[in-house]
Amino acid sequence: MSPLLRGELLKLRTTRTFVTLVGVTVALSLVVVGLTAILGDHFTKSDVRETFTFDFSSLFILLLGVTGMAGEWRHRTITSSVLAAPARVRLLAAKLISYALAGTVLSLIVTVALMALGTVILSARGEVTLGATDLADILWRNLVAAALLGAFGVCIGGIVRNQIVAIVGLLVLAFALEPALLSLAPDVGRFGPTVGAPSGISGISPNGGDNGELLAPAVAVLVLIGWVGLGFGVTAALLRRRDLV
Amino acid sequence: MAPVEIRDLHKRFGSVNAVNGLSFDVEPGRVTGFLGPNGAGKSTTLRALLGLIRPTEGTATFGGRRYEDLDRPSTRVGAVLEDASFHPGRSARNHLRVLAVTGEHPLGRVDEVLAAVGLSEAADRRVKGYSMGMRQRLAIAAALLGDPEVLILDEPTNGLDPPGISWMRRLLREQAASGRAVLVSSHLLAEVAQSVDDVVIIANGEMRGRGTLAEVLGGGEGGVAEVRAQDPERLASALEQRGHRVERDGDRLLVLGTSPAEVGAIALEAQVALIGLAPRTRSLETAFFALTGGEA
Repeated sequence: MSPLLRGELLKLRTTRTFVTLVGVTVALSLVVVGLTAILGDHFTKSDVRETFTFDFSSLFILLLGVTGMAGEWRHRTITSSVLAAPARVRLLAAKLISYALAGTVLSLIVTVALMALGTVILSARGEVTLGATDLADILWRNLVAAALLGAFGVCIGGIVRNQIVAIVGLLVLAFALEPALLSLAPDVGRFGPTVGAPSGISGISPNGGDNGELLAPAVAVLVLIGWVGLGFGVTAALLRRRDLV
Repeated sequence: MAPVEIRDLHKRFGSVNAVNGLSFDVEPGRVTGFLGPNGAGKSTTLRALLGLIRPTEGTATFGGRRYEDLDRPSTRVGAVLEDASFHPGRSARNHLRVLAVTGEHPLGRVDEVLAAVGLSEAADRRVKGYSMGMRQRLAIAAALLGDPEVLILDEPTNGLDPPGISWMRRLLREQAASGRAVLVSSHLLAEVAQSVDDVVIIANGEMRGRGTLAEVLGGGEGGVAEVRAQDPERLASALEQRGHRVERDGDRLLVLGTSPAEVGAIALEAQVALIGLAPRTRSLETAFFALTGGEA
């Protein structure tokens, strides 16, 4: 692991934001999954899959990525970061990878926790549960989506730089624009970076509609990688030519 | 090759010429004061040197290499910028640990530099609770982390109390005494006068004066002669006709770059009676305002 990447990971670990985020994400996910498992009836395997895919880690790591990169500008730490690592594109790459890793870890903790809780409750109620193969299938989808969205968040933070504007913009995109686009024009909406492609990876439509409107998981992964690549390219170009005054 | 070389540096921001053709060196084992009024281009020059902004023309290098081309730059150059900022939620120790990991320095250096700047006891407190002086000390600790050959400090005494300023003065001298090249910008002229060996003075992005402190205070190699005459205007005119630079200081004339003997000879030739004639050393403030065109 390069010193630059280790430094970025250390940055993540040495503020309370990441730890707080893990706690909030785990708590929220467990509450939602616990209530769903307790209050629901006649679960099918598809229902359980959908329940176990319902973790907040993808959304939160997206916002954490935005905060982590835009925060460099907000706190004006970008200057000391660039002084320590003057190769700006490598610095951006290290930050992007570190948030992808953080997304993976966050999603792993959350998904395993909610799977354990949900399985215990459903078993106790005599409802259907999932086998190891199904659980592993859900797990990789959640991990990949969280990793790529963490990286995408870094790119958005680097492009927009204003934390509030970036976060509000992403929330509007994720909760209004993309779901609407997916409903009204699924051929376009399924390629979206915050809902369309991640839904393709999970295989669950956010509108409760036909999953056939979504991209195949492998294609969705490639599309999201494409969004991250595009974001990286734009952010790198801006970062390279930007004067840090 | 000097540790710091600035050659014909230009930087334009739109239609504003922030730096216009600056050239100077910073030598090892010496503290070089970098002076100029607000907006003179000092910070822009330092940021160009550190690769934070792109020069429009010219070069600013460390031993001929741009900052971004240095291997492990923190072992070559330590920098304290005017707006040194830290993540408010991170402790001083963790801030330095991040820099140590990124710069491949032993983690033991973190405690060493914390002790060197007097922050050991506050090291585990979050930076948002730090005073401005403590932040400045932390910035200096970060600059010293890689034990660099060159120190660049932009207004390092900002926020320091009098003991802190005294500490900073000693630090600069110690760093230079150990062979490092130190470039320090400051608006506290009295402080600079006590700390520096060489001076570079700029205004409006342009060089206005450079040399050893003695040279700048003396107005040039020949020093300054202070003279009082019965007809100062006639004497001033005679001196200026001979190519000397003359400044008015009340009823006195300060003649730059010459000796009292030469002034006396010119006065005799011009048939002007002298009331007093003596060598004089200018204060740095006087030299600064004379060179930058400001008023004391």
